[in-house]
Amino acid sequence: MILNYITSVILIVLGLYTVCTKRNLIKIVLGLGITDYGINLLIVSIGYNNGGTAPIYSSDLFNLNASAAAFVDPVPQALTLTSIVIGACVDAMALALVIMLNRRYKTTDANEIRRLKG
Amino acid sequence: MNYSHFPAIAVMGLFLGAFLVEIFGSKSKIVRNIIVFVFTTCAAALMLYLVKPVMLDGEIISYWMGNWEPVDGYAIGIGYEIDQLSMFFAILVVLTIWLSAVYSFRYMERDRHLGHYYTLFLMLSGAVLGLVCTGDVFNLFVMVEIMTFAAVALTAFRNKKGSNLEAAFKYLIVGSVGSGFTLTGITLLYMQCHTLNMAQLSSMLSGNLTPVTVLALALMFTGFGVKSFIVPFHAPAADAYMSAPTSVSMVFSGMVNKAGVYGMIRLVYIIFRAMDIEAIQILLVLLGVITMFIGVTMALAQHDLKRLLAFHSISQIGYVITAIGLCTALGVTGGLFHALNHTLFKGLLFLCAGAVLYAAGTTDLDRLGGLSKKMPKTCICFLIGAFSISGLPPFNGFASKWMIYQATYEKAVTTGNFFYAFATVTAVVVSVMTLASFIKVTQAVFFGQCPAQLQQTREVPFSMRLPMWIMALLCVASGVLYGDLYRFILAPASNAALNVTGYIDAMLGSGTAASAGIADIEVAKVSFSYWNPTAWLILFAIILIAVCWVVVFGEKTRGAVLQSESAQDVDGKYATFFSGEKSMHSHVGGSDLFWGFKKNFSGYFRVMQGIHSGNVNDYALMAVAAAAIFIVFMFVVLL
Repeated sequence: MILNYITSVILIVLGLYTVCTKRNLIKIVLGLGITDYGINLLIVSIGYNNGGTAPIYSSDLFNLNASAAAFVDPVPQALTLTSIVIGACVDAMALALVIMLNRRYKTTDANEIRRLKG
Repeated sequence: MNYSHFPAIAVMGLFLGAFLVEIFGSKSKIVRNIIVFVFTTCAAALMLYLVKPVMLDGEIISYWMGNWEPVDGYAIGIGYEIDQLSMFFAILVVLTIWLSAVYSFRYMERDRHLGHYYTLFLMLSGAVLGLVCTGDVFNLFVMVEIMTFAAVALTAFRNKKGSNLEAAFKYLIVGSVGSGFTLTGITLLYMQCHTLNMAQLSSMLSGNLTPVTVLALALMFTGFGVKSFIVPFHAPAADAYMSAPTSVSMVFSGMVNKAGVYGMIRLVYIIFRAMDIEAIQILLVLLGVITMFIGVTMALAQHDLKRLLAFHSISQIGYVITAIGLCTALGVTGGLFHALNHTLFKGLLFLCAGAVLYAAGTTDLDRLGGLSKKMPKTCICFLIGAFSISGLPPFNGFASKWMIYQATYEKAVTTGNFFYAFATVTAVVVSVMTLASFIKVTQAVFFGQCPAQLQQTREVPFSMRLPMWIMALLCVASGVLYGDLYRFILAPASNAALNVTGYIDAMLGSGTAASAGIADIEVAKVSFSYWNPTAWLILFAIILIAVCWVVVFGEKTRGAVLQSESAQDVDGKYATFFSGEKSMHSHVGGSDLFWGFKKNFSGYFRVMQGIHSGNVNDYALMAVAAAAIFIVFMFVVLL
């Protein structure tokens, strides 16, 4: 379990590092995506119960003698789904913007795309 | 009449309107405008109906989606909760979206694909209204994301120019980094408390902060800081406000950054109740002071009307954050009052800038001038907005700024901390610089010589002037009727921010707060004795009469010299400001009225230009570095 948390933190930091240092716009968008995946992993991990069953509140469905505490928490999974959808939308829009920026500026270098400054 | 459904209906209605516009409104202009008008009016009516029960009768509306009520004191459903603080911000939101919708019918008429514009506009409106109504932190995050998404798309709406796309991209990257921090914070909170309901989080977190919740506080603080565009997250805001269509710029400065401020108040006052700690107060006041100062100095260096207004917007948010950081009744009241006033006067100024853009085709200060004769009604509205933002009595900016000066100074006296007195002085200096900046803008846009290419300019149509007049009227009304405004709107809202028990009890049943060990706090009443604007108005009138007396009956020579010099001159635009000396002002453009000031502080301005480099990596790095600083700071002071 601890490995999940470590991996998620590594992914988040790696994503932020990419956003802050890479000059290529596509790479910046990828960095955002990596950050999102790290956060999603974190959310899913906090709901996980080792050996827990599916979160269906009906004691005779599988009759596994499982108590309610052994369920895997369903809320974080719902949160992750929402977060994945939002992340996908943001990535799609960012890539659309990159395509249009490339048409107008003829480059994807963040250093060249700075008409608005000061 | 059961009105507990109204907030949910208002939010859902706006989202439904977004779909209907996309389906039915892409062909016909009339159908589209009717849909937008009906849904924004419905949302405004539904929320304003709640003013009486919530604000005047002190009721707190709680509403569980799908009737999923708490089981054994544990909230499992998504709840909407409208307390007085939410209601206050909801009023700002519905006012802004209604006026912006009415304005955009004519303002946007020359653009294509307007169906998409109104879809995004209604999505943005619904998201911000949902954000202030919700009582669930994850729902809050979803609304923040929809808001950012729609705001970015609207920034890039007029994508003929590359710079709009550039602004949208920067806003998206920095905004998403902020949203990521918010989501991580929410995840950590869920990890500790196993609930997402704000009232329950508040009752659980009171007094027992663990390292995980402190990390969550720092991350969420950063996230809402990004959304409210305080320094150092402000750089993309200036680009976005400048590039977006003006009806959207008004929405940005009227409610999108207020949504960030709302989130911040909700976070530090209600969820974490961390404002009793002095270090957090100092952090907020320090951020506010830096924000207001950097905002206004950057505004002095601008030569585009909308970009200048954007930096003023950042600066005014600094006032709000400073006042909120004081954690006194007067401070919070002043901060909320200034938030309301900022929505009114900055909305008005952006609408006037939009009118100038619509009529003259540019917002470049160097190419504008003398428009007061061509568009006198816009000029009057702009002057009212400029007086309000500069804090002249009897306009509303004076009342709220005076409250903030008094609140910071009182805090300095009661705590004996010199830092708060410094905040007072900075606030006054920033206000003076705001006035200076608006003298420059008014002179450059509305007075002086009218360039040849602007001779054909005409006044904007009535449906664009109507929102401007409403805003101008509200600016004057809220400045004059501050006492009633305080009694009916501001006092309940600031009490709701300072006193958390009502919020918890309304959501989870009465007695929950008491059993969690949270007591009622007696909130002091604000006294008006020091800052009666009417008295100051009389003083100003006396000074004005004295000045007129001297001008009329005093020696004529000085005035005569000025007159003759400027009459000879071809470009007499700035004669008043340079004593009529020709050689002095011949090279000075409309944006450079304060060139001497800028030259004296050229070192400072060079550093600032370096910081606002326009590079998206730098802006993202500023956000991440600020997050790191907040995390370290909160760990040091809270644990």
